Amino acid sequence: MLIVSGPVGGSEHHRAGHPERPTRIRAVMAGIDELHLGTDLETVHGEPADRQQLTRVHSASYLDELTAFCKAGGGDIDPDTYATEDSWLTARSAAGAGLAAIDALRQHHDGVAFVAARPPGHHALRDRAMGFCLLNTIAVAAAALVSEGERVLIVDWDVHHGNGTQEIFWDDPNVLYVSTHQWPLFPGSGTAGEIGGPHARGHIVNVPLPPGATGDVVRRAIDEVAFPVIDNFAPTWVLVSAGFDAHRADPMADLALSNGDFADLARTVAGFAPRPGRLALFLEGGYDLVALQASVTATLGALLGAPYEAEDTTAGGIGSEMVSQAKAERADALGRTDLVMPPGGLL
Amino acid sequence: MTPIRTIAVGFDGSSDAQAAARYALELADQLGADLVFVHAAGLLEHIDEPQVVLDLEETVWVLTSEAGIDPGRARWHVHDGDPCSVLLRAGDPPISADLIVVGSRGQGNHVGLPLGSTSHELAEHTTIPILIVPKGKTSNR
Repeated sequence: MLIVSGPVGGSEHHRAGHPERPTRIRAVMAGIDELHLGTDLETVHGEPADRQQLTRVHSASYLDELTAFCKAGGGDIDPDTYATEDSWLTARSAAGAGLAAIDALRQHHDGVAFVAARPPGHHALRDRAMGFCLLNTIAVAAAALVSEGERVLIVDWDVHHGNGTQEIFWDDPNVLYVSTHQWPLFPGSGTAGEIGGPHARGHIVNVPLPPGATGDVVRRAIDEVAFPVIDNFAPTWVLVSAGFDAHRADPMADLALSNGDFADLARTVAGFAPRPGRLALFLEGGYDLVALQASVTATLGALLGAPYEAEDTTAGGIGSEMVSQAKAERADALGRTDLVMPPGGLL
Repeated sequence: MTPIRTIAVGFDGSSDAQAAARYALELADQLGADLVFVHAAGLLEHIDEPQVVLDLEETVWVLTSEAGIDPGRARWHVHDGDPCSVLLRAGDPPISADLIVVGSRGQGNHVGLPLGSTSHELAEHTTIPILIVPKGKTSNR
């Protein structure tokens, strides 16, 4: 069974000409329709996240400032990120959609959830919006699970490093954050030497990849660098920052994945969940609408065992040596006795 | 006091950044220091980055020429990331700056920065001296 939470942001939070646009949600929903799931599809609509749920991951002062900014009509937050009058409600609704997805999975004890919501969230820091992101939707869901004693694995296969998610859970031993991403690329963080704070050393796993890296390289990163850590962590829940901008057609970056690679990755990541009903995917990036739609179809089709058409998986691109470097750099960081601080002094 | 041999200027092309650049150009001239223009490339710049950087380089060339300084003395450093994180690393190689110069506000409204802008967050976290050029300030004389 597929539980779709949303859609959120199909018309709201809109800036003409901006690539992070409502049409992305239409592409996502069209990708789900392609699977013709019938009664195996359930749609849920959550309430906007409330202040208590949001302050688990964001500062009260930031929430107040964002509220006031949107109420005043919004504008440019930074050269990438905008807010409109309705962005505050849309972002809260996106966060609420993530929580509703978790609730629905709990009720069913089965299935997979997909949070079809925007704006994306993984760049949003504890006290700052950035990188198209206002509220960190997946972090809100993970923090809710942690508050109930769960151990949460977050796999982030968006082409950009999820610096916000990393910052929020930097020193949280109940969260394991795994990211594969193009590097160098915005936001500039995500080296393999970033391994987490003193209470959570090793709970950040970054594998930066060069432009042109193909699906086999990403799979190797997961298998060789992340899997041993995940196996040891033994998550009780698995959440995925499912950005699809690592697709070779995406205009925002230069990795070379196909939609078949996302299907392959999804099957691998599903294997990290302890049992059915413990896997939720959250939409992050993905700006080529055709690639986005087809990637959603392939990803969810693979997870559900539904028939779908997909591109072949990719192999032979550069980057294998960077996986080896990441392993070495990570081992070196873990062996150091000094505390490793997050990059950029953003904490 | 550490001699100021290299000055890093945060530059996003905004009017405040241009004011900071003019100030830094004069300061570099007075001190005989090298100047590095630092630009943080955001998400959107990936789509049309070459043109963005070309436009910024042209603006800096004009500012440098107007200041009567050899444009060859100014270097460029473009790095992916948000402006604050990129500038916080300006004290490290390859820039190894002794001083950071920024405008009081760049592009955007900086929601979430309690004191209002990247410059204030920089001031809070920097490990090397920072000089914030007030809006409208064009000369250090």
